[in-house]
Amino acid sequence: MNFFVLYFLFLKATFTSFSGLASLPMVRDDFVVERHMLTDRELNIAVAAGRTTPGPYGTYLAGVGYKAGGVPGAVAAILAVMTPAFLIIPLLKWAGKYANDRRIRGAIQGVLLSSAGLLITASIPLARDAITGWLALAFVVVSFALLTFTRVDSSWVMVGVLGAGVASKLFV
Amino acid sequence: MPGPSLGELTRLIFRVSNTTFGGGYITMAALKRELVNEHEWITDEDYALTFALARITPGTNIIAFCAGVGSIIRGVAGAFAAATASTVPAAVMAVVLMEMFDSWQNNRWMSGALGAALAAACGMLWAVVITIVRPAFVNGRAAVRAIVLVGAAFATSWFLGWTPVPIIFGAAAIGYFWTGE
Repeated sequence: MNFFVLYFLFLKATFTSFSGLASLPMVRDDFVVERHMLTDRELNIAVAAGRTTPGPYGTYLAGVGYKAGGVPGAVAAILAVMTPAFLIIPLLKWAGKYANDRRIRGAIQGVLLSSAGLLITASIPLARDAITGWLALAFVVVSFALLTFTRVDSSWVMVGVLGAGVASKLFV
Repeated sequence: MPGPSLGELTRLIFRVSNTTFGGGYITMAALKRELVNEHEWITDEDYALTFALARITPGTNIIAFCAGVGSIIRGVAGAFAAATASTVPAAVMAVVLMEMFDSWQNNRWMSGALGAALAAACGMLWAVVITIVRPAFVNGRAAVRAIVLVGAAFATSWFLGWTPVPIIFGAAAIGYFWTGE
């Protein structure tokens, strides 16, 4: 696919989200559902890889871009992840007073909350693919619980889970 | 104290944002220690304003934050250098890891690791949902608003098959008028 088309697809996802993984529903809709450039499994692998590295969570999109269009696809994704960030330059100059405006905050919270609902929808097909048995379900529950109720970083959870996954092959 | 060179700024952002585990807010706190307290490259007020504006900038908050402090310290070139330093190394690592995970699919031992990672990623997605929703539960009215917005987004996308764009813009409009305060 054309570099610029990929860039604008990723840009659509990053411009309509206000946190790293909130872009996932839009990405799934464009790349998995509409254009069949990726499978749910490949998207989930990109998310898993993105959560294993330190750094911004939004960089999982580089993996999606690489799968969809090789190195140019990854570059398009990285540029699209970075582009909205530059909006902060004019905001710093002119919009400081709006940062705490209750209606602006309300609108952004609305976007964030809707992205949570959309994330639930997008995660269901990924979960159907990933939860293949009781052991996989246990990994879902453990990672959810660790990230929700403790301060352990997702990278360490992922490292532990990878080790446990290899070890599980000793018994299965 | 004179401001840092572009190279010094890039090195600091690169080091902190690519080695700090724990997500955007932890990284922003680590950067505060370096930028405000140790090097005094920006003031406390600069930090607070950039932090607040990064949260209302679309995309990934921490990248906007880095671009913001970069622009305060070294102008547009600083913004570009800081955004690049905070994004590109992690993105390259994500691609390399993804290729590695992908290659494990046909290996008996590593397929176990891949299956576990994919399952854990689902748990992590649901943990992100909790992370997004939890701050909205400050009082009863705000909680009702949060439940309505999350539920409506889920219902319209899952049951009605709506695409994300109208749902996100609709939620922004509802959030603007129904602030929950």
